[in-house]
Amino acid sequence: MNSLSRRGFLVGLACATALAATGCGLSGGDPGAAGGPVTGEVKGSITFQTWALKPKYTDYLNGLVTRFQQAHPGTTVNWVDQPADGYLKKVTADAAAGALPDVVNMPPDLSYPLAKQKLLVDIGSAMPDAAKDYLDNAWSAYALPGQSGSYGFPWYLNTGPVFYNKALFTQAGLDAEHPPTTYAELESAALAMAQHSDRKIAMLGLTPVIADFALYGVNVMDPGGTRFTFNEDKGVRFVELYKKLYDAGALIPEALTANYTGAGTKFMNQQIAWAPGSAYDLSNFKTNAPSLYPNVGITKPITNTGHATMFVQGLSVPESSKNKPTALAFARFVTNAENQLAFAKLVNIFPSTKGTMDDPYFSKSDGTDEAKVRVAAAKQLGTAVNYTPVQWSDQMLTVLQQQLAEAMLGKKSAKQALDEVVAQCDKLLAG
Amino acid sequence: MSRQHWLTPWLFLLPSLVAVIGFSLFPFVNTVILAFTNARTIGGGRFTGLDNFGRLLHDPAFWTAAGNSALYVVVVAPALVVLPLLLALLVRRKLPGITFFRTAFFTPVIASVVVVGLIWSWLLDTRGLVNGVLQALGVLRTPIPFLTDQWLLILSAMLVTVWRGLGYYMVIYLAALGSVPRELHEAAQVDGAGRFRRLLSVTLPALRPTMVLVAVLSAVSAFRVFSEVYLLGGPAGGPGGADTTLVMLIEQVGTGLRGDLGYSSALSVVLFLLTLGLLVATSRLDRNEAAS
Repeated sequence: MNSLSRRGFLVGLACATALAATGCGLSGGDPGAAGGPVTGEVKGSITFQTWALKPKYTDYLNGLVTRFQQAHPGTTVNWVDQPADGYLKKVTADAAAGALPDVVNMPPDLSYPLAKQKLLVDIGSAMPDAAKDYLDNAWSAYALPGQSGSYGFPWYLNTGPVFYNKALFTQAGLDAEHPPTTYAELESAALAMAQHSDRKIAMLGLTPVIADFALYGVNVMDPGGTRFTFNEDKGVRFVELYKKLYDAGALIPEALTANYTGAGTKFMNQQIAWAPGSAYDLSNFKTNAPSLYPNVGITKPITNTGHATMFVQGLSVPESSKNKPTALAFARFVTNAENQLAFAKLVNIFPSTKGTMDDPYFSKSDGTDEAKVRVAAAKQLGTAVNYTPVQWSDQMLTVLQQQLAEAMLGKKSAKQALDEVVAQCDKLLAG
Repeated sequence: MSRQHWLTPWLFLLPSLVAVIGFSLFPFVNTVILAFTNARTIGGGRFTGLDNFGRLLHDPAFWTAAGNSALYVVVVAPALVVLPLLLALLVRRKLPGITFFRTAFFTPVIASVVVVGLIWSWLLDTRGLVNGVLQALGVLRTPIPFLTDQWLLILSAMLVTVWRGLGYYMVIYLAALGSVPRELHEAAQVDGAGRFRRLLSVTLPALRPTMVLVAVLSAVSAFRVFSEVYLLGGPAGGPGGADTTLVMLIEQVGTGLRGDLGYSSALSVVLFLLTLGLLVATSRLDRNEAAS
């Protein structure tokens, strides 16, 4: 202690601070090792992170963990669940720190930037026999465009019908039993509704997102996935259609600033008459908007491509995992046909494994609204496509929303707005 | 051991020092370093000199955001200097039930900003309470686009900020009003000064340092506004992003897995310098006026 001088202490403290400060500035993720099958004993402990499944599905998840541990003695799975809000921030912070859990629940658009930085295990080469178990459209959702490999086990899928408000349809003099099935029919119904209600009832609550462009038949990206192309003529026509609806009062003004949740609330408040959704929403309406529920009509989503859009959730294994054999085995176990079917029966989602959808649960309706939606959605899923490109980011969504607002307000033409979005998104893609 | 006595205060300081270095100094220095790089959220980056600052000068989004933040200061700061003072003068009087009003004016300060934002967004929506009442009374035929017009939206956000700040600054003024010497008032009264004259010649000069403090605090917080605009105008920053403020822009650019940390750090450094400039300018102004 005697040798510790005051000056030495302070200099040491300053150096430690400076080192800590400068050292972290440019730290990057640790790129993983080269691909190839992952072999090794399934043993030891891993951490498994899910996204907002606690406490509703605690029993199911705990059951999975217990059965896996029994089947593989010597393994321990620590299940952690993160709340829905801030999930992206949590994954981002963990990824930046190189501290992602061994098995992480993530949708394709979250896996893409991580896979691009080689922070995720290529499941295709780590477990070459896994691909055959899953539906092709689900498996390919985790591929890097223009490159080989797949970076997640597809876990569950969702697609949905469109919900519409029958009472508002009737009030506007529209046939509530025959909702629109094409864009042209939707346009004329929306215009009629706005006119009939003196602009008090709007059909739509949201400006289009990228998947809507694809459903309209617009080529969103070039085949190589290297640049965006939705400023083509068809994309411009699509935005012009929305502009026409906005001017007529058929698209609520708040659409210019709203996000998806905001539009959902507007539908529940019976301020808009048309809202794309999922089977999950039906139970939400039942609980949170009981006066709306009897008026909810269910119809097929409108598409020009013949395909509906679908959403995929999956499990990825980071390259930073210290126990890849166990992590891969567990992720495959959670996403196997048997476990997915059991999960799908608990919650309104659909399995991503081949043949599982043949179960009568997805093809036979017992007459309840939930069953009707389930059967219709399951039929739709067979040919559904994940229309949101994995390259699409939150920043791009903000740019699209901002430019569409400019177009709706007439500050820019549809073409000018889309050219600007594409230019900015291409820049973000290249960055 | 007596030679080591100098260490004792440092040991007492250690917990706070660790917290300050870890959560304040380190992130600050790190942000400054990142501002000169092209770092992304993941994948690191490399030194790019002043590129980010050059990009910023040619970025229309930056100028829009800086303009909105400046406008916020110009409108909100004077309002928050004057209105809470008037309110404090009003609730200082000893009247029956005045405690209720004091508490009521302070309530918005303790209410969660998210809750407050949601309530105001429901009130100001095109189909919200305000438009509904005005339409029902026949005052309006078409609703006022409070939340979908660029200028009305930022004005609405300012209104919420002022409403939230009133109670807080009112309490500061109440404390200051209590310390204005009573003798001065009595002397002025003897000299024949009326109530308004005493306010101008006694109360306001005595409150000057407090008014400067309130001006500085409200200007700095107005310059860094985020929640009100975000909650009323959505994550994209109002229609076409026209109401984005500097802090919102930093959030938009720098967050997410593909966040541009380098550029958002450069924006943060500029925000810091502008805030510092604002503080220095206000204190200079105060010193010059005091001297004259």
